[in-house]
Amino acid sequence: MKPNRNFHSVGRRGFLADMGMGFTGLALGAMLNGESVARAATEGWRAPDGKPHFAPKAKRVIWLFMIGGVSHVETFDPKPALNKYAGMRLGDTPFKDFDQNPLVKKNLREVIVGLHKIEPNLYPLQVGYKKRGQSGIEVSDWWPNVSECIDDIAVVRSMWTTDNNHGAQMQFHTGRHVLEGQFPTIGSWVHYGLGSLNENLPQFVVLGEPVDTCCGGLAAHGAAYLGPEHGGVQLAVRPEDPLAFSKLGPGVSKEEQKSEFELVSEFSRLSMAQYPDDAAMRARIKSYELAFRMQTAVPEVMKFSEENEATRRMYGLDQETTKPFGEMCLAARRMAESGVRFVQVFHGQNGGAGKWDAHSNLKKGHTDLCQQVDKPIAGLLKDLKQRGMLDDTIVVFATEFGRTPGSEGTNGRNHHPYGFSVWMAGGGIKGGVVNGATDEIGFHAVENRHYVTDIHATILHQLGLDGKKLEVPGRKRLEIDLGNPIHEIIA
Amino acid sequence: MLRRLALLASVAMCCLAQQPRALSILQQRCIPCHSGPSKKSGLDLSSRELAIQGGDRGPAIVPGKAKESLAYRVASHSEKPHMPLQSPKLSEADLTVLAEWIDQGAEYGAAAKAVASADAPLPLPNHWSFRKPQRPAVPVVATVERVRNPIDAFVAAEREKRKLTAVGPAVPRMLLRRVYLDLVGVPPTKEEMDKFLADPSPNAYEAVVDRLLADSRYGERWGRHWMDIWRYSDWYGWRKGNDVRNSQRFMWRWRDWIVESLNRDKSYDRMILEMLAADEVAPQDTDAMRATGFLARNYSKYDRDGWMQDAVDHTALGMLGITVKCARCHDHKFDPIAQEEYYRFRAFFEPYDVRVDRVPGEVDITKDGLSRVFDVDVQRPTYLYVRGDIQQPDKAKVLTPSVPRLFGFPLGSIEQVTVPLDSYYPDHRSFVQKDLLAKAKADVEQAQADLAKKEEQYATVGKDVAKLSVAEGYEKMRVASDELALAKKTLAAAKENVVALGARVAADNARFASPPDAAYENFATEARTAERKAGILKADEDVTRAQMELDKALRATPTDEKMVGEAQKRLTAASASLTQATDGYHTVGTVYENKSSGRRTALARWIGSPDNPLTARVAMNHIWLRHFGKPLVPTVFDFGLNGKPPTNPALLDWLATEFVRSGWSMKAMHRLMVTSATYRMQSSAGTENNSNAAADPDNEYLWRMNPRRMEAEVVRDSILSLSGELDLTMGGPDIDETKGLESNRRSIYFRHSPDTQMEFLKTFDGANPVECYLRSESVVPQQALALANSQISVEKARVLAAKIGISAAPEAFVKSAFETILGRLPSAEEQAVGVRFLQREPDLLASWQVPGPPAARAREDFVHVLLNHNDFVTIR
Repeated sequence: MKPNRNFHSVGRRGFLADMGMGFTGLALGAMLNGESVARAATEGWRAPDGKPHFAPKAKRVIWLFMIGGVSHVETFDPKPALNKYAGMRLGDTPFKDFDQNPLVKKNLREVIVGLHKIEPNLYPLQVGYKKRGQSGIEVSDWWPNVSECIDDIAVVRSMWTTDNNHGAQMQFHTGRHVLEGQFPTIGSWVHYGLGSLNENLPQFVVLGEPVDTCCGGLAAHGAAYLGPEHGGVQLAVRPEDPLAFSKLGPGVSKEEQKSEFELVSEFSRLSMAQYPDDAAMRARIKSYELAFRMQTAVPEVMKFSEENEATRRMYGLDQETTKPFGEMCLAARRMAESGVRFVQVFHGQNGGAGKWDAHSNLKKGHTDLCQQVDKPIAGLLKDLKQRGMLDDTIVVFATEFGRTPGSEGTNGRNHHPYGFSVWMAGGGIKGGVVNGATDEIGFHAVENRHYVTDIHATILHQLGLDGKKLEVPGRKRLEIDLGNPIHEIIA
Repeated sequence: MLRRLALLASVAMCCLAQQPRALSILQQRCIPCHSGPSKKSGLDLSSRELAIQGGDRGPAIVPGKAKESLAYRVASHSEKPHMPLQSPKLSEADLTVLAEWIDQGAEYGAAAKAVASADAPLPLPNHWSFRKPQRPAVPVVATVERVRNPIDAFVAAEREKRKLTAVGPAVPRMLLRRVYLDLVGVPPTKEEMDKFLADPSPNAYEAVVDRLLADSRYGERWGRHWMDIWRYSDWYGWRKGNDVRNSQRFMWRWRDWIVESLNRDKSYDRMILEMLAADEVAPQDTDAMRATGFLARNYSKYDRDGWMQDAVDHTALGMLGITVKCARCHDHKFDPIAQEEYYRFRAFFEPYDVRVDRVPGEVDITKDGLSRVFDVDVQRPTYLYVRGDIQQPDKAKVLTPSVPRLFGFPLGSIEQVTVPLDSYYPDHRSFVQKDLLAKAKADVEQAQADLAKKEEQYATVGKDVAKLSVAEGYEKMRVASDELALAKKTLAAAKENVVALGARVAADNARFASPPDAAYENFATEARTAERKAGILKADEDVTRAQMELDKALRATPTDEKMVGEAQKRLTAASASLTQATDGYHTVGTVYENKSSGRRTALARWIGSPDNPLTARVAMNHIWLRHFGKPLVPTVFDFGLNGKPPTNPALLDWLATEFVRSGWSMKAMHRLMVTSATYRMQSSAGTENNSNAAADPDNEYLWRMNPRRMEAEVVRDSILSLSGELDLTMGGPDIDETKGLESNRRSIYFRHSPDTQMEFLKTFDGANPVECYLRSESVVPQQALALANSQISVEKARVLAAKIGISAAPEAFVKSAFETILGRLPSAEEQAVGVRFLQREPDLLASWQVPGPPAARAREDFVHVLLNHNDFVTIR
């Protein structure tokens, strides 16, 4: 800093000093934290102070979401009975009452009556399984690399959701069906509840193409009533130009720009007093401050060139097939390392329901897709582990629903909300365990059933947050919105 | 209908008092979903036995016990799910009828069979948007002081119901800025602001509104809105290969039609008609023809089915506010649209195709032209695709066009149209003939010039040959000689082409004269001969060229096998054309069918009919959204059963009927909306209105105006406009999207497609060209960076600073900059902060060795800061 800066704006410096920080914006942002959501605040209610409610086990989350619906029976939940009864109608098998199971009704919130279709002709498994690792958990042959990490993974085989259309993509992130409107996503709750780990980066980053507008669009990483400042910030994984407009304007010097940013912040502070209820303005002020710091921070984070050859190979950056998703996983790790709190990574956007949506040609489709992500995801887990980061980083592998035990057409599976699998690793989650189970054909989640918000609750729990305490006045949350932590998989 | 009559007749004979009414209620409100093969919840209510047997939830009717009957419990909302699903509750009177009927034993009587028929067409739910809006009476409200026109009365009525208190009006400065940005998409200049503030007339504001609506910038501003809804896209595909795979070239003509139509306040029903069927209703009007870009935009080179799907889906979404897409594979889950109805709707579009007609001055239709639609085959059949699978058309039944029954009002008759000569044979227009002949003559001149050059070259080589080795000399002479021979052939062919073209034009003129010229046969023979001769010469030229290319490829070291192959292919083709037989002459251009199915005209007239329950409502909702920041029906493209109901149904219906009454005049409706007291409210909640914020935090009932962020185009255009450098040239070809920060044209004129979008616009949530019925309004750091660092904001800030007065004293400069950029005066604090900046910054700038005079630079930076101010992008 140049010496003659000292006389610069005493008034403003006074303001800075009050906040005890180097840059106005940061202080202002901190001052504004959380207030936006409840102007008509009830007595006694206070916005989160950014501190966990209890001692956390994890600091951050990397959330991998496969768009379209991964087949649970061909990935993490082996069902040999499907081979045995392949081609038979459900009604001719010992499982004939499965579609009459009260769980069918129990599962549904019935936003749309009669929408749920059950494919009756059982379809054999399209891939083999092997026992893996010390734990001997069975994982399908489409996951040779992730299988090597199975002893760090807790597989949850008893997920259910209420919908079998792709609105469930947003639902997996908010807990509410798309028809019920927009609600805060898990990433935005984390952002809202916890303070920053690095003031120079967005705390909630989105990598990869988000889900299509059909199925939630930007709302699948939005913050709804928490206010736009808690929503995810999309960043391109493009090391040569990771952030548009991040280079100084023509002829502008660094100090000059900083000086301008400070003046903008000062004006913002004055405006805030005038429009205390303007949530969009509040968000804009914060994003403005963040923008200033991101200009240098983001290109730093995206410098893949700093990674050695071994690491690059670990993520599959040397292969055409694995490179795109490998770069995202690597970027996710670098972000996590730099202090981003929640990285939401999407895979499989195709301008519609999603690439994993295997209505036909399941075998070919899933083979290709698994190949694209298996190596990178395993690379991420291994890399986090070797850096000691897996201890306080939760990695989630998720999708909106599973696929029917029965066949759709000749070689596909339909949507299946009654039972499916996700997995978690790291951040105090037990490794090499399985929680919950579906029935013999993977139809219903029958043991330790978990609605999607149980995953949210588990994450919040590990981060030291109590979802209930985050509730905003006037925005009542139901039990099902909050979910329950899956204690069985918590170490 | 017969079935219905039979039902009523048989029921009338019955003795039980409530039976006919009860069955009629069941038939209308329950049986549509609870019967037939896809009965909901496994429940079939079409017969007494089935109703008692019940569905997945158990018996629906317990005869004699209404209160214990599930059907009654869900219908009376004493148990969930409330029925009819997502439809208005049954009236109390109807519920009483049902209860009494069940209590009396729930007899179906002789009607049972009639009701039970599973193949009965889907009866229609009594959904609000499927019924024609009835003009509601303007409510009488208590808060009359908040009412300037009927809009305000409707809004006030809802507010009063909820005990909400409207905030006060916006201050004049804020209001003027709001209405400028809203109607013309750029802020008022300081002079315009001052003039408005000084105008003592009580109608000063209305005068401004009228002036802005008459301003041609209005068409550009609102044109962009409609381009969102009508999903404008320039062509995309493989730009490098000039390969149009989606949309069409020259879509900008459609964009210009939109802008011009809005500026002329063309009626909305006429706009619909021209977009869907200008080729049928105005076949000779090339200006109107541009409108068919709406359909041409759906073109998809490799996917005719996807093309048809887009035409169907987006006509329905954009103009009718219904989602028909689901019914492509199965009966619609939410709305009463059968799969067959989807395909019957598609049949309107089935015959159409796209083509490019020539425009004066350019014969190459890849360089300029008019992209338009036409019926390529009026007989092209439409089949239902089983489960939406194009491999499985149900060929047993050719589907004729019709509209979904849910609308409850019929399509007019479909009349085949005979299109005029200019339209079915566009190259017969005299300007095309003239342009083609001129081009042919220009080709001769070109060939002559080329020949002269080759002759000179040959002569030069001849002189130089002595200086070369024999081998080299031979090679050079050979090449020069070949090229000379080719140039001679080219010239000969070009000359003969002029003759042939002239003869073909003459033959065309004789053939298409009305009545046909008696000497046509002679002309035709002459044309054939001339064409044959020209063809031979052209083929001779081609063979020579191909031979030369082959030679070259063969002589290359190492031999380029690929080039040899290609050259050989060309040689073979050229030689073949020499020996091909021809009969007759070729018309100068393509002659298309002289008739059109008339289907799209019928559809357009049906959509644009005052009786259509949705068209006016959907359009009003779109316009309302863009004036007030929030739509009345939140699901702007879905007014069906799965959509959300309007927040103010009476207001929407009044607007819809008023729109029709005004002759579908958009300007009339804009005027009503922006002159309403509702529009003039302040957007700030104020401090005294906490009860409003508690009762209606999302401002659904408009107790204040919604503050908004400028749309992407407005951000860019406003910066340019403030700097005084906005280029107001209207219309013309799309400008390269990468030139957005250098060119000063309005944002609407830049190339916009899924593959090509200006980064700056994209950053501010610019329209998604695939589908954009509602723009998102995100807040992300990238937006701040775009304003802070982009060339446009930095450079225009400097220009603007100079405009404000680079040498003005700090006090005056700060005040003037606030007024100019933010449209308001600075507060005392802001003024002080600003002045301090201008006083101190110059020394700092000097110490940082920033170039230029520091005092001026500080002022430029100050202007740049105000462009980055939250109040700049905010429309309060």
